[in-house]
Amino acid sequence: MNMSGRDARGPKNLVPLLLAAPLLLFMLAFYALPVVTMLMRSVSDPAWSLSHYAALPDDAVFQKVFLNTLYTSVIVTLGTLLLGYPVALALVRTRRWAPVILILILLPFWTSVLVRSYAWMVLMGRHGLINEALLAAGLLERPLRILNTPLATQIAMIHILLPYMILPIANALRQIDPSLARAASGLGATPWRTFRQVILPLSMPGVAAGVLLVFVLALGFYITPAMVGGPREITLSMLIAQQVDQLNWGYAATLSAVLLATALAIIAACYRLPGIGNAFRMNTR
Amino acid sequence: MRRYRLNSPFGRRTALGLLGAGLAAPFIRPAAAQAAWPEVTSIPDALKGTGEVRIATFGGTMQETQQKAYFEPFEKLSGIKVRAFPGSDPTKVKAMVETGNVEWDMAQLSRGSIMNLQKHGDYFEKIDYDLVDSGVDAAYRFEYGLEMLVWAQVLAYRTDTFKGAVPKGWADFWDTKKFPGDRAMVGTSAGGWPEMEFALMAAGVPPEKVYPIDIDKAFESYDKIKKDVVKWWDTGAVPIQLLTDREVVMTTVWNGRMAALQAAGVPGAISWSQGLLKRDAWGIPKGAKNKVNAMKFAAYSTMAIPQARVALGIPYGSVNNKSNEYIPAERLQVLPSAPAIKAQLVNYNYDWWIDNREAVVNRFNKWLLS
Repeated sequence: MNMSGRDARGPKNLVPLLLAAPLLLFMLAFYALPVVTMLMRSVSDPAWSLSHYAALPDDAVFQKVFLNTLYTSVIVTLGTLLLGYPVALALVRTRRWAPVILILILLPFWTSVLVRSYAWMVLMGRHGLINEALLAAGLLERPLRILNTPLATQIAMIHILLPYMILPIANALRQIDPSLARAASGLGATPWRTFRQVILPLSMPGVAAGVLLVFVLALGFYITPAMVGGPREITLSMLIAQQVDQLNWGYAATLSAVLLATALAIIAACYRLPGIGNAFRMNTR
Repeated sequence: MRRYRLNSPFGRRTALGLLGAGLAAPFIRPAAAQAAWPEVTSIPDALKGTGEVRIATFGGTMQETQQKAYFEPFEKLSGIKVRAFPGSDPTKVKAMVETGNVEWDMAQLSRGSIMNLQKHGDYFEKIDYDLVDSGVDAAYRFEYGLEMLVWAQVLAYRTDTFKGAVPKGWADFWDTKKFPGDRAMVGTSAGGWPEMEFALMAAGVPPEKVYPIDIDKAFESYDKIKKDVVKWWDTGAVPIQLLTDREVVMTTVWNGRMAALQAAGVPGAISWSQGLLKRDAWGIPKGAKNKVNAMKFAAYSTMAIPQARVALGIPYGSVNNKSNEYIPAERLQVLPSAPAIKAQLVNYNYDWWIDNREAVVNRFNKWLLS
């Protein structure tokens, strides 16, 4: 046994902890504690019991809202994936246009959600740009209803969440050794086959990370569905806000706990997928 | 971030209001803004004092008007400094009182939200009515708050769609054959209170028999308009936007918002008939540090002239019966507190709503999703 070696290792292990301590304390005081206090209300308000949770299976409003929220998140995740993957590929493949593409991705990212929602209202309205253009081109006889429908919510949310899909995928693609693709073509694979059998599988950690980020963020959307969504569209966040306003803080806390548990369950499930950790590894190449 | 309710844009009359008002502001004719306002020259010693009073408001153009109408004059006359904060919200009052960290001495709320909180505990100080002006209508006084602003929730429509026909009352709003086009009404997504009264009047219930509300009957009536309502709005900027963009031809609105729409040149009008007369109220959070100053300010701000000054700045009405003497006839035509308009409105029954709001909102959720 080498006692001195162990002694040297002890304090060294403390260094990362000490470095992170200010942030940890900050998160504990201003994030974890308030969240826990709020979630405790789900079992303590108005009296100590599990009655809020026991009532959920018979709560038709909650179930419809929850399913609608999940459904919207799935559609939005698929939409961002289908639109985002090719963009990520382009971002990695072109050296010349990469900065332009990156700026185009990030520019809307820096604009407030509220402003973007207003922009979508101008575009998708009954007398908005899309309808007026289609009418003028003779492709429509009467304006389409896009604004104030679930489709409008999905389009706007896909737009908002696209960067969260593109950036992790691009990161994963960038980590793939270019010699692998060359080796594949050297062995006679067509570009499509190289993509399908080499690039796509190796980019899966990035896809998983993007899917995870987008899905979890989409679960909590509030402003966009309220502004551009359809008349029957209530998301879980909207229901929580409504119940907070009604001073039903116990019920609101229960709904928040369900939302948080759903997000955590999805994160846990994704982390079990092999290789996902790679997606979060920084690449300095 | 966007995962949770962003308080400011959706605290009913706050940031979105600023946005709407900001867009409309350049079009407001300067003549209306510069009309001479009546001045208070002296106040009773009982309203004077020292120190400060911290007041939570709904922000936006409302707070700008309040600043000029009574915050600044009160500072000069009383010696008490006024600090105004936008973003008043009953849930914040609840949190402040529960944590013992009361940052507001007074908050602009409604009788409904004050009494609703009071039902759950002791969150507000009682009002000292010895200080309050005799002109304040008895209907606007209650134990834990003093109503300080009269507004109306009314029918608004685009004047360019019905070939000159004028919708009057809720039977017309419900009549999509005579007045074809999409509608918008108040929803519950951000804690709005459904317009059950309108549903009842549409079904033929006379205005004076609306309360107590027959909930079943109201929802039966709502069934008939459901498919035509394209948006259940939750903040006052939304219906104005919908009318401006021609997304709807008829909607319910807060009357004050229509001035901005009309000033921007959009062909829209209010139909006052069968509207709801609602009020905002001052509430003093329990344990407020400067509650004595808050009482003094509440009393001052509801005197005839300060109330008239607000009504000259923003088209909301006065709680003081003597204010109308200070308001020109032309201005009275747009104020819900003007006698000719008030007579057409139904006094909102906050007491009924405090007892029934939760049941109604939960049922509304269920009804909307079914």
